[in-house]
Amino acid sequence: MIDTRIDPAFFTQLTKQLEESDSLCSWDEFKLAWKGLNLQTIPEFDGLLSLTQLPHINFLEHQVDACEKVVHEMSGRAILADEVGLGKTLEAGLILKEYMIRGMAKKILILTPASLVNQWTQELSEKFYIQAASPRKKHADWKNWDITVTSIDMAKRENHKEEILSIDYDLIIIDEAHKLKNHQTKNYQFVQQLKKTYCLLLTATPIQNHLSDLFNLVSILKPGYLGDLSTFKKKYKNTHLGAADTQEHIHSLLSKLMIRNLRKDTGLDSSKRHVKNITLKFNKEEQEVYDELDAIKKDYPSFTWLTLTKELCSSREACYMSLQNMHKKQPSDLLKHLIDRLGELPHHTKAMKMAELIQQSDEKFIVFTEYRASQFYLQWYLQQNGISSVPFNGKFNKSKRDWMKQLFKTKAQVMIATEAGAEGINLQFCNNIINYDLPWNPMRLEQRIGRIHRFGQTKDVNVFNFAIENTMEDQIMKLLYEKIQLFQNAVGDLDAILEKIPGGNFETHVQKILQESESQGEIDIKMKNLVSYVEYNVKERRESS
Amino acid sequence: MKQNVYYDFTKEFFTINGCLIEERNAKHMKVQLTRQMDESLMNRPFYWHYMKKMNREGDPMSLSFKDISIGEEEEGIYLHAGTPKLQQIYQTALEKGYITRLYESINHPTHNLALHPWLILNMKITFRGKQSKDQILSIGLNLINGAITHNMMELLEHIKLIQKISDYTFPMTPMIKLESAYNRIIQHVEAYLTTLDTDWAEQSIQQFNYEKQLLQKFFHSDDIGEEQYQKELDQLAIRYKPRVTITIANGGLFYLSVHTSQNLLT
Repeated sequence: MIDTRIDPAFFTQLTKQLEESDSLCSWDEFKLAWKGLNLQTIPEFDGLLSLTQLPHINFLEHQVDACEKVVHEMSGRAILADEVGLGKTLEAGLILKEYMIRGMAKKILILTPASLVNQWTQELSEKFYIQAASPRKKHADWKNWDITVTSIDMAKRENHKEEILSIDYDLIIIDEAHKLKNHQTKNYQFVQQLKKTYCLLLTATPIQNHLSDLFNLVSILKPGYLGDLSTFKKKYKNTHLGAADTQEHIHSLLSKLMIRNLRKDTGLDSSKRHVKNITLKFNKEEQEVYDELDAIKKDYPSFTWLTLTKELCSSREACYMSLQNMHKKQPSDLLKHLIDRLGELPHHTKAMKMAELIQQSDEKFIVFTEYRASQFYLQWYLQQNGISSVPFNGKFNKSKRDWMKQLFKTKAQVMIATEAGAEGINLQFCNNIINYDLPWNPMRLEQRIGRIHRFGQTKDVNVFNFAIENTMEDQIMKLLYEKIQLFQNAVGDLDAILEKIPGGNFETHVQKILQESESQGEIDIKMKNLVSYVEYNVKERRESS
Repeated sequence: MKQNVYYDFTKEFFTINGCLIEERNAKHMKVQLTRQMDESLMNRPFYWHYMKKMNREGDPMSLSFKDISIGEEEEGIYLHAGTPKLQQIYQTALEKGYITRLYESINHPTHNLALHPWLILNMKITFRGKQSKDQILSIGLNLINGAITHNMMELLEHIKLIQKISDYTFPMTPMIKLESAYNRIIQHVEAYLTTLDTDWAEQSIQQFNYEKQLLQKFFHSDDIGEEQYQKELDQLAIRYKPRVTITIANGGLFYLSVHTSQNLLT
């Protein structure tokens, strides 16, 4: 009944080598080979061998369960759909490790958004001792690399595609898999063509807009599992996605190939967020310069004014850099005048408040700003006030990042990071965050906070948001952050809502409103509309879940 | 968990292969590779090809290893299951310890002593279906009387075996030919396999058939093309079809005293 194969090479080799005494091995070598064989042996079908090999990580119960379920019950093809922040990546890594130890996966491909490639390779190396390669500009060796991390865009390029599709992968992991919801896209078709034995799809939002999204995801894993598309569509044509019973029905339908842990079930909400919005007033000089910037509107597009005022809300230096650049390209008296005026300004109101806040505490702080110029300025300013700090930005290479992180952990009180630093560092040892200036996209803010409000954070997290009164910043803070009450809850499905606003995602909407409106009143009205749309959707989701 | 098994194994491996080991403590070692080890482990065939061509010595590299219980502060490769380097080391150990002919070492026998020839095969049996596991067997067959014994390696562990025959001992000529001995062992193993529990295989087949059926229905709905269907079918087989693979890891001829041979059988 069971197919049994014996490797035939041995006997031929035995007779041959017994003739040639030189090729025979010693007793020690023979015993050593046997010992090696013993160590490589996996004696049981069940259980997780990877856990004992990774004693330095405290896996949480739901993560271990997920791994066990995927490997032993779901036979290695599954959607990992935990809510944001529950450690999907850790689950995937653990499963990967388990398959590697069991000798069931050797050739592995991990597809992630380009911005996460480095983070994946780093986490695999640090947490799982798995060395993965990722292709650089010219260099890619798909055939010889056992474990490769790359983006779909890179993989599907003409010069790589053929080779990748010819490889039999044992395991393929696709991060942010909800991006594959449409089966007509090139990305989807590419993924479907890949040769794979096991496959993991990672997404926090398995159902975004339509049930057919889910159908398409399932078709990558187990074609036919949900029947065929037209019958499926007919069956669920009139069901309302938001309805609780529909959700439940779908989830039970998928219980054999999807794992979805929710925050509320895992008891991970012990660390709370305290958000404090701090509205500051420009001092007299700053206010004057801010008003003078109005003159820009005459000769330049409204977007320029917007940029400059936003910069001035951050630091003199940030605004100065832009004006200087403009002046270089097209000198004018107005620009010259503004530059001179900037030079006369005293220390920035926000910087002073920041130093005051930090000085009142012995704890560590991470400060986020959008501008490099502000970053330099703040570092210098803190130093003048006797506060030690380290900079951080996304352009640092890995060793410099690690070094800065280490310095922050052991020596400095403050880390000043630019936006690019929001991804890829985990700083649970710090529990205070200052948003020195605010990004226009609430999800970016969520990512910032996520650096410290995550697994391993034992204390409550304090979030301080700075904004200057009567400026665009103030408005953004009031409209976006206070109204939607983003901070109070870790965002579960907000990213889905912000992505699916008709006519573009949230950020493009905000930019459009700011650029196209002719008066402050128009901006106000449009922003309010946008916010109430989001608010409505959030409420609807909450009620239905 | 067993302490340091991977570390100890690695240390033994490099010691046996003549590498210089510098140990700072019992959890960290730096190994100066020999040329042969460098060729086996460092994946740089072009370098060595070039050195040979140029008739030059070449410069073997060194490697550092550490036990999993030490953290980041020491440089080196973590020794734990699943490290590619360790897999490579296993592989090399198996290649170098593949086939042997050994004689029991006997000091000054009082009279001429006959040594019985044994064929010993060490094998790994992999059971793979929905899940996967291995079993290893070490089986010996006495080439004079045809007796078969399991756990040979364990039984021989403390017996001194050498590559040259001791004085005043002589090897007996096998009554059973090597080939038929080999076949007998294989038959023995196959018979043994039929005595094992087959639940795992039945479950795998069930799952295989179930998913195959779903896939076929889907294929008839025209949602996927022929090529895609075939590929999915192949992948299903890899994931679920129960199969057993017998790999002979190493083996050889062992000449053992009658005394030892008899001990093996009791």
